[in-house]
Amino acid sequence: MSLPPSMSDVVGPSNGALIRRLFGLAWRYRLHCLQVLGLQLLLLVMGIGGLSFTGLGIDYIRHKLDDTPMDDNVLHVALPMAWAPLQVLGLLAGLILVLALSRAVLNYVLAVSINKLVQQKLVVDLRGEVYDKLQRLSFRFFDANSTGSIITRVTGDVQSVRMFVDQVMIQSVIMAVSLTVYVIYMASLSPSLTLACLATTPLLAVLSTWFSKKIQPSYAHNRTLVERMVQILAESLQGVAVTKGFGREPEARAKFEAANQACFDQQQGIFWRVSLFSPAVGFITRINMMVLLGYGGWLVANGELPLGTGLIVFAGLLEQFSGQVNNVANIVNSVQQSLIGARRVFEILDAPVEVKNAPAAIRLPRCTGLVQFENVSFAYAGAEAVVRDIDLAVQPGQCVAILGATGAGKSVLMSLLPRFFDPTAGRVLIDGVDLRELDLDDLRRNIGIVFQESFLFSNTIAANIAFGHPAATREQIERAARIAAAHEFVTALPLGYDTVLGESGASLSGGQRQRLAIARAVLLEPAILLLDDPTAAIDSETEHEIFEALDRAIAGRTTFIVAHRLSTLRRADFIIVMEQGRIAQRGTHAELMAQPGSYRRVASLQLLDGRELQSLGIAKPGGERT
Amino acid sequence: MIPVVPPPPPPKPMGLVHRLPDDEDQEEQFKPLEWGLMRRLFTYARPVRGKLSALIGLSVIRSAQLPALGWVMALVINGPISHANYVGIALGVVGYGLLAIATDGLFHFRQRYALQVGETVVNGLRADIFDKVQRQPMSFFQRMKLGRIIGRVTSDVESVRSGIQDVLFVSVIQGGAMVFSAIVMAWSDWQLFLIVLGMAPVLWAINRHFRVKLSLYSRAASESFSRVTATLAESVNGIRVTQGFVRQETNAGLFRSLLADHSAYNIALARTSAILTPLLELNSQFFVATLLMFGGWRVFNGDMTLGALITFFLLANQFFSPIAIIGNQYNQALVAMAGAERVFKLIDTVPEWVDAPEAVALPDPRVPVAGVSPVPPPLLAAPGVCVEFRGLSFGYDPARPVLHDINFVAEPGQTVALVGHTGSGKSSIINLVSKFYLPTSGELLIDGREIRTLTSRSLHRQMGMVQQQNFLFSGTVLENLRLAKPEATDAEVRAAAASLDCLDILEALPQGLLTEVGERGASLSVGQRQLVCFTRALLADPRLVMLDEATSSIDALTEARLQTALLKLLRGRTSFVVAHRLSTIRHADLVLVLDQGVIIERGTHDQLLAAGGRYAALYEQFVQVDDGD
Repeated sequence: MSLPPSMSDVVGPSNGALIRRLFGLAWRYRLHCLQVLGLQLLLLVMGIGGLSFTGLGIDYIRHKLDDTPMDDNVLHVALPMAWAPLQVLGLLAGLILVLALSRAVLNYVLAVSINKLVQQKLVVDLRGEVYDKLQRLSFRFFDANSTGSIITRVTGDVQSVRMFVDQVMIQSVIMAVSLTVYVIYMASLSPSLTLACLATTPLLAVLSTWFSKKIQPSYAHNRTLVERMVQILAESLQGVAVTKGFGREPEARAKFEAANQACFDQQQGIFWRVSLFSPAVGFITRINMMVLLGYGGWLVANGELPLGTGLIVFAGLLEQFSGQVNNVANIVNSVQQSLIGARRVFEILDAPVEVKNAPAAIRLPRCTGLVQFENVSFAYAGAEAVVRDIDLAVQPGQCVAILGATGAGKSVLMSLLPRFFDPTAGRVLIDGVDLRELDLDDLRRNIGIVFQESFLFSNTIAANIAFGHPAATREQIERAARIAAAHEFVTALPLGYDTVLGESGASLSGGQRQRLAIARAVLLEPAILLLDDPTAAIDSETEHEIFEALDRAIAGRTTFIVAHRLSTLRRADFIIVMEQGRIAQRGTHAELMAQPGSYRRVASLQLLDGRELQSLGIAKPGGERT
Repeated sequence: MIPVVPPPPPPKPMGLVHRLPDDEDQEEQFKPLEWGLMRRLFTYARPVRGKLSALIGLSVIRSAQLPALGWVMALVINGPISHANYVGIALGVVGYGLLAIATDGLFHFRQRYALQVGETVVNGLRADIFDKVQRQPMSFFQRMKLGRIIGRVTSDVESVRSGIQDVLFVSVIQGGAMVFSAIVMAWSDWQLFLIVLGMAPVLWAINRHFRVKLSLYSRAASESFSRVTATLAESVNGIRVTQGFVRQETNAGLFRSLLADHSAYNIALARTSAILTPLLELNSQFFVATLLMFGGWRVFNGDMTLGALITFFLLANQFFSPIAIIGNQYNQALVAMAGAERVFKLIDTVPEWVDAPEAVALPDPRVPVAGVSPVPPPLLAAPGVCVEFRGLSFGYDPARPVLHDINFVAEPGQTVALVGHTGSGKSSIINLVSKFYLPTSGELLIDGREIRTLTSRSLHRQMGMVQQQNFLFSGTVLENLRLAKPEATDAEVRAAAASLDCLDILEALPQGLLTEVGERGASLSVGQRQLVCFTRALLADPRLVMLDEATSSIDALTEARLQTALLKLLRGRTSFVVAHRLSTIRHADLVLVLDQGVIIERGTHDQLLAAGGRYAALYEQFVQVDDGD
């Protein structure tokens, strides 16, 4: 699937700017980072100490056994030569154990400390911030990005960003410090052996960095292929009735097979590369061992290097050294990954909130419901206007029905009222005040909205009704439910208002869900009510269920209702017909029936002819044809 | 005096997502090793049988190579280096080098083959799952949650993969290395080796204890994470409601508490692994100290050589590290077993019914008989099928029938309108004619043949359906249209859209027919989606048309256009229509009024209105003329 332009890499801050910003992020947690670094340094020194004591022990045994000279060792520790040999060994063994114990404790503290930094602070803070911001973004952002991509930003991408702190910054400092300490220590044992053994190190670093740069795109590609395979599977399950209905199972199968096989084929290349790389790295490490064995062995044989504190300690250090060098590749990866993540996370954090509260916003706890549109136009950035030159005045308590084809601008017109968007020209007024001067939260609390598809949250019925006012009492909730004609069916449920809706919760009919949505909208007793085609998603038999609810909800409120069914249209005080963003017709039902145009065409389709009405016994002569 | 009423308790704080525990969601995480499952898994590796056998050989060799490297090193140190034998050192280095080349060279094959075997098994399992699931009848999809099937194809299959590509081979290699280094150590000094041996169970026990704990915590963490993502998804999907009702602050607070909850599990997880890792390291240090003490004592006593002690230092790691590794692999194996069991359970689910083996294809008059010159049949000219219900009863659950003794005949080309309340059985009739379900008793005849004797696909290929809940696959509009007839040319597709009078609407989309419809068609409006579905159905040039509340989501202006076209679509074809539009019902040849699974009235629109029965009453409700004008 193609990504909307906002998400691809067209524009955006440079890598340098991103990295500076990430450093800024880390700076917020500087004390914690320092603590982690300090602990790590302590552990490093203690690790080398333990290794050296082992070497010292071997040398001591060797000295006692065949009197190999045991002069100044690298630790500059003078062993109490006067003690009995076993006492000396006991001392060394004791020291090793003490070091090991303290290392174990420190390691524990370190791991917990890193996790607290990452899991408790960084990730929680970042996710919270991104979520906060998300909720304030305009709907266009949500239309332009798929749900999956937005979720990934809060989950995966935030993890990538925090990786910059703990995987990149802290790790590179640790790596730099440990490599330096290792090199200094090894050099103090034997500079020439150090040089010889580390000769391959640059090769190792270059190789693993190069490899990971090469393989990353393949892995990324693989993830895309797997996601596609899963998507095809998911769709073929959701659309199983369509596939079966047209008898196209073989085609569906072939499509999945192709996606499955694409994953398989692409993996083969990855397998080859991985299986060449890891043996190569293994072999380079072993070359180091060969050098150590050959050259180091020669030095020991010459008596220029002690066996224990020299050769064996060296072997141990080399192993840890190459471990750290392999880390270079990880760090390089993490940098790339965290930059990609950061770009996507910061894009949300930096996205301008299009609709903002005015600096000295006028408070309006309770409006009367007088609504005026003055020459209002609206266009999405860089696109043609979807609403043009709307002039409309609605008196408090009036009901306006809006009729129009898909894309005629009905929903957009309504979304200007709660300021989901601001008009690009003209102004919208409530009680004579321009919306942009009003306090945004006050404005929205004055407006009750019922959307086309009633979105209810996986929560109890009570919590859903009280969505806009979580502190509402049960009485308030029940009153709202009664207005919406929902009280009866809710109390008929075994758990009543505490019934949990959602995936594994109770399933309600479209009409029932829509009545809950109406209850939710009227809970706050709003002066203005917006109903965006509330019967569209409801089948015709349950449609009549919500008329009663609508009638009661509309009473006394300024109402805008998008509708297509005559039964609803006729409830309005007047009707506007929208065509291509403009008001094409306006008037009462009777007025519009009297003139040629879209309205009469739609209405007559739904009207009965007189003969039928008479057979139903409800016809008034000429009544419907005015 | 007003009695003092205690204030009501504040409402319980609740997360955005409130989930009921679902028994079926509690899936086993581990499963004991089972030979049958393993054998069955390896049958999927049949395409790479040669590599599989080679791998076992390679693993055995590698298990000797790893300790051998350590041993050669010890030999060189103890021999030539200790005795200043320069030629010996050189020879030793060459020997070590050769062994290293052999080891790493072999490693290439061992790794590549294992990855390929794993991928082959995964690929086969996925194909099998898809195949078996697709053969299930519709009732299966009503029961099964989408997420569960996806879980089989993703996480379960992945855990099987790591089981296949790692567990067996890594265990062989590590176990072999353990045995080999044990032999070398025991041969060097068996008494010291006994101490080494004694520590092995301790390591094993520690490792097992913590691994089990870790996997429990990681499960809790991933469950709390799925609450985070589920809430997130709801917040994104419900953003209009949230902003419209000024709920941002409250939601943010709830989301933070979910995050805190998740982070608490993560910390618990981290704490546990923060104990395990240092403990394992402590253990090896403890071993070093013991070796130094006890080994040193034996060396001083002349019971063993310094060389043997150094051998121990170099090989002990080869003996101990496999313990933790095999422990992990064992864990991995249990997880893979659990995954494999779930996958096979899905694959082995016996469909409630399948086409009878002797079922034949429904003859298709649209297809020219072989030998006759293929004249493409003109569009809209296919003769309809004849559908007859004879004493038919049906229930999704046979114990609770939803249709009772249904009898009617739809002659070829007739339109049958189904009328009745929700649950009266309208959709069930459509489902039966579509052979999505089989009748419980009685007969359903299509062109005079009992539906059980016909293959589903041959019937479906002559059918076109449009439902209220339309479904589009992600891809272009054109691809979605072609679903009904993959071989249709562009011109045919356009002709179909034009004959429904909606070609201009589809072409007005941003990229015309090549517009991407997005996830589940999300970038089209509900009405546009429905038009695609209508065109799709017409393109199939069906002899049998099913319209289930097909126009209710189309806006009134577009619907007005579609009405005329719709009549054209139905002409000559047999059709079943559930509709709220009077015009459609009015033109039906037969109206069936259903109530609780029984046909209570039948006839044409005019006959039924004149009869003044239930239909007339329903009709009145439909048109809602109660408030007059």
